[in-house]
Amino acid sequence: MSLERKDEFDHEGWMKERDLTPIETIYLTTLMWLDKRLRIVDYLELLEDLYYKINMQMPKSHTEQYNLDNKFWYWYPLYALGSFSTIAYVVAAISGALLGFYYSPATTGDPSTAYNSITFIMTDLRFGFFLRSLHRWSAQVMVAAVFLHMLRVYFTGAYKEPRELNWIIGIVLISLTMVFGYTGYLLPWDQLAFWAGQIGVEMALSVPLAGEWVAQLLFGGFTLSQSTLQRMYILHVFFLPFVATALIAIHIGIVWMQGIAEPH
Amino acid sequence: MSENESTTDGTGSEREAATDGGRKAADGSGIVAPDDETPTWRERKERTQGLSQLTYEYFERARREDQDLRTESDYVERDVLAFPVWPHEMIRNLALTSFFVGMIIFLAAALPPHIGAPANPSQTPAVILPDWYLYWSFGLLKLGPLNPDLALLGGQKLMADRTYGVVANLVVVGFIAIVPFLNKGAARRPVEQPFWAAVGVFGVIFAATISALSVKNLIPMDSHLLFDLTFLLPFVGGFLTYAVLKSMREGYMFELNRRYYRLRPPK
Repeated sequence: MSLERKDEFDHEGWMKERDLTPIETIYLTTLMWLDKRLRIVDYLELLEDLYYKINMQMPKSHTEQYNLDNKFWYWYPLYALGSFSTIAYVVAAISGALLGFYYSPATTGDPSTAYNSITFIMTDLRFGFFLRSLHRWSAQVMVAAVFLHMLRVYFTGAYKEPRELNWIIGIVLISLTMVFGYTGYLLPWDQLAFWAGQIGVEMALSVPLAGEWVAQLLFGGFTLSQSTLQRMYILHVFFLPFVATALIAIHIGIVWMQGIAEPH
Repeated sequence: MSENESTTDGTGSEREAATDGGRKAADGSGIVAPDDETPTWRERKERTQGLSQLTYEYFERARREDQDLRTESDYVERDVLAFPVWPHEMIRNLALTSFFVGMIIFLAAALPPHIGAPANPSQTPAVILPDWYLYWSFGLLKLGPLNPDLALLGGQKLMADRTYGVVANLVVVGFIAIVPFLNKGAARRPVEQPFWAAVGVFGVIFAATISALSVKNLIPMDSHLLFDLTFLLPFVGGFLTYAVLKSMREGYMFELNRRYYRLRPPK
């Protein structure tokens, strides 16, 4: 007799009255131990649900049902633009990580360490020019694809009812893409970068009320310096990638759940 | 489901308890708990309390509602029409991906970016430009001439010109963000909604002209003319689009509806 309260889910007692082999006992004990702590049953249930969903037959899509394929196929490239921007993002991420091995964000040196490392990548590093070129082109293509993707969504009315939230996430993503481009543009620390940075500081300063605070936060001061470059670098390689990747995952996840809006 | 109901048909009290879809195999998947002592998924869930209990109850209600709607509906196929991402979309996308990656590699190899002169704070270059995709935003910063001087403030401007430019950026992005809440309804194609298609064309042309305005030093044109055209051309484009779509609309909608009614008769 134990003083511990027994409820209907007394798994130990249940195990005792079953005639279990040692392997079964060990398995069940482990499973129960883990389940108590990690709620494995919930995840098992999710998996089970997925299993049944995968094995269901796909319902006919709108185009199949009404035999609109002959009307639809020539729109198809426009429907791949979102996918294109994702691929460009992935290519930019990989080439950017490789570029990060050789780049250092410092304004000291002659003319500056950042500028020198770009020169090194472009002239001395084997395939370095290709790496930087790949990074830059995929960034350009990503921005272009994102813009066109937005136009496609607008002109096919795909932002309408159940998809408003995804449209807003898309607006945030297109803004983040441009901030990505801007921060990346500043990193070589050449003339264009410097004066684009100057414009950025002035834009930040002209935000009503919070302007000086914003300029301090983003640019590390009212004139461009080492801390500006450092902040742009951290935004470009650390902060934005996390935020943008998470948002892209949510964006695509919602598309996956809702399906692609077709022209009706 | 039907099997469960036939087993619970015996007693009236049991039937009462089964109003929410049967006791065992609660999710309708036909899975029966291994034996009486193992709680079903539903029973485990029902032991939760508070917010999770509420969430669960809501999910149950929503599922029941869906089920009711499905049984009410005349249509055998589902009525929501969207293009499934998997496999239809992904397979075609993957095919296009290979072309795309090839294109990027070709561009990267053929046209590497050049390196400009190093940063020099003491020497302002003749042309200061952001990357091309920020031209529109850069152009919106140059809207100073449109910033009204208010008589109330004695001819003063309410905002500095550069603040005005930043606010213009926010207004444009904000407007685009709330489009789904302004334009509702089932219309999808431009012909079905000429006004919003015209707004879209206005936006596209304005993006182009405001970009041109931002690089006005590089455009061989009188800057006043360019400024006027920046705001005139989008309206011209918008009105043209509206007129064309409106006149296309009659015939087009007839064709569209005729096909729809033939394939999918109204209730």
